Amino acid sequence: MNKIGLIISREYFTRVTKKSFIIVTLLTPILMAVLIMVPVIIALNSEKEVKVFVTDENDYFINKFADGKKVHFLYPNGDVEMLKQQCIAGECDAVLQILGGSQSNQANLYFYEEPPMSLKGNIQEQMDKINFDKTLIDTFRVDLKKYEQIKLTSQTLIAALQIDEMGKAQASSMELNRIIGIICGIMICTFVFMYASQVLRSVLEEKTNRIIEVIVSSVKPFQFMMGKIIGVALVGITQFALQVGAIFIILIAVQAFIPRTMLQSEMVPTEIVNNMSDNAFNVNVASNIPQTNSIFNDISTFYNFPFSTMIICFLFYFIFGYLVYASLFAGIGSAVDNETDSQQFILPVTIPLYLPLVLISSMANAPQNGIIWWLSMIPLTSPVAMIFRIPSGVPLWELITSMFLLVAFFVFCVWASAKIYRTGILMYGKKITWRELWKWIRY
Amino acid sequence: MNIIDIQNVTKKFSNHIALNDFSLSIPQGCIFGLLGPNGAGKTTLIRILNQITAPDSGVVLYDGKPLCRDFIEKIGYLPEERGLYKKMKISEQTIYLAQLKGLTKEEAKKRLLYWFKKFEIESWWNRKVEELSKGMQQKIQFIVTIIHHPDFLIFDEPFSGFDPINTDLLKNEILQLKKNGNTIILSTHNMASVEEICDEIVLINKGEKVLSGKLGEVKHAFKSNLFQIEVARLPLDFLTEMPASFQITETVTTDSSHVLNVQISSDSNANQLLDFFIHRVPILSFHEILPSMNEIFIRTITSQNNNS
Repeated sequence: MNKIGLIISREYFTRVTKKSFIIVTLLTPILMAVLIMVPVIIALNSEKEVKVFVTDENDYFINKFADGKKVHFLYPNGDVEMLKQQCIAGECDAVLQILGGSQSNQANLYFYEEPPMSLKGNIQEQMDKINFDKTLIDTFRVDLKKYEQIKLTSQTLIAALQIDEMGKAQASSMELNRIIGIICGIMICTFVFMYASQVLRSVLEEKTNRIIEVIVSSVKPFQFMMGKIIGVALVGITQFALQVGAIFIILIAVQAFIPRTMLQSEMVPTEIVNNMSDNAFNVNVASNIPQTNSIFNDISTFYNFPFSTMIICFLFYFIFGYLVYASLFAGIGSAVDNETDSQQFILPVTIPLYLPLVLISSMANAPQNGIIWWLSMIPLTSPVAMIFRIPSGVPLWELITSMFLLVAFFVFCVWASAKIYRTGILMYGKKITWRELWKWIRY
Repeated sequence: MNIIDIQNVTKKFSNHIALNDFSLSIPQGCIFGLLGPNGAGKTTLIRILNQITAPDSGVVLYDGKPLCRDFIEKIGYLPEERGLYKKMKISEQTIYLAQLKGLTKEEAKKRLLYWFKKFEIESWWNRKVEELSKGMQQKIQFIVTIIHHPDFLIFDEPFSGFDPINTDLLKNEILQLKKNGNTIILSTHNMASVEEICDEIVLINKGEKVLSGKLGEVKHAFKSNLFQIEVARLPLDFLTEMPASFQITETVTTDSSHVLNVQISSDSNANQLLDFFIHRVPILSFHEILPSMNEIFIRTITSQNNNS
């Protein structure tokens, strides 16, 4: 037992004290923060002020456009040609010419330099509304103020409420659940593969430089293999903790750095909606117009998210997913002579790890049924598949069954890999086949 | 008193038998040569002694008790294919390997520093293995093998990769270990070193013991009544007078003497040969030519392989 501790500490400290470990650990969160923050900052700051000259032959639209944060509508006198000249001279960014007569729902938007993409949509929406209101007043003699009031009070609001076994309801954001599920799934997938590969490389290194023969004359191969797997696991947990800590610090720093007003209400949704709709401008401009379908209508749903369950499950599935793959990789690493030969064995066992991710988009609509349910139970796929399901709520018995199956499978993997390892680690110059591995396991 | 008793050990692999009903005793305090052609089963035997692999049947006794994990720390093993962690500092690495053999960190460091000083390699302490030559690494590996003061040592081709000076250094260390009462197994293809330092040998072929015993006894068993006599000049009549039971196999003539290799038939003896020369010419030297281990090795293995 004492020797296992020794092995773990060597495997741990040689990795943790490596320069590359320190650099990767520190750089990744910075890089991630930059990747997240840069588009947001660009979206917030780079949109320049847009000045639009409006000319309407019917004069109906004069002074009717609402200015946005960065969009200003001006109504100078003069004909279109003159305004166009002014646009070329840089006095405005665009000229909106609304056609007269019965064509008041038609317009031309002239510009010299291309304005923000969202401008056209913004104008279109505003004109739609102005024209619609005009029709209401002219044709139906509607009291516009009253109409707006009725419209507001009759607006439909759907609260997504998830109920647990006790029947207690909690607000839930289905879209957010999916996103968090997918992100965590990708993280598990990446981490598991990354650290399991480290075990593979390390086993291969010891085999090819033959230090293994000295070591297995001191400790049992099983002890050594387990020491290595656990040591690398601790490296993974350390790196993960450091990175999460670093991201946390960076976020706090960013919050202090960026003016508070920019971060409030608009900033958070923009940032995340950004990733989804890919169009920052829309949101900014659209914020002037009442928007009922924002997924962040009720920001408090965020706080009802099952954080503690998620964190516990994430750690559990990360650790045991890693343990399963690391022991498989250790077995494979011991059986082959070089990294190239290992590919034929790595690929088949890695496909299940990535399978849930590949299928996720097609399953996003039904996270609780069908194939994803089965994938979240089958040990090789469950670390990723179950994490994907958890934010949407998973019955306790399913969670426990899945965890139990994973642990049981891990025990089996270690047992099988230890058998392969014991034989393989001292076997050189032999092309290994699946049949051969099977023979070693039964041996 | 035997430190190791191997009794009827058999080890099979999927397609061949590495050791077949193999028995061997290794007396305490000797240097024991483990010889055999490639693939004879030497490495398997060594791995069984190290408990890296287990025999299919048969028992191995260490000091009269069945071999178990408790004896691991009493055995030192220098494998033929040996390696070190390339990227690790030599100090950290040697301490780690010594700790795996059950030493405390402090004790390991103390002993290592003693050996580094003795081998005059203190300057390597903080270097990485990848900076060292193969011979330098061998020295480190030798130190790691003996650092935990094992009673029983197994050296597999210890001299390969060493220059003559370091070979000598290592040879002396091995002899010193023997003097201290340790038992040493020396597995090697270098027959000269076997003759130089081994007390007993065993020759293995195809998983079976074909020859074993004290080095001198083995050689005597293989002697073929060949003698070398050095005389100041050749007797004038010796070609006609010499009895037919003496056969000259080789003659070397130098400025001052003639060296003759003489084969004596079994019904004759060395005294009769001397008697023939002593009355005719001055004799400068006379001795029996014993076969070298090299010859014994080749003769035994080829004849066995031809028979099967």
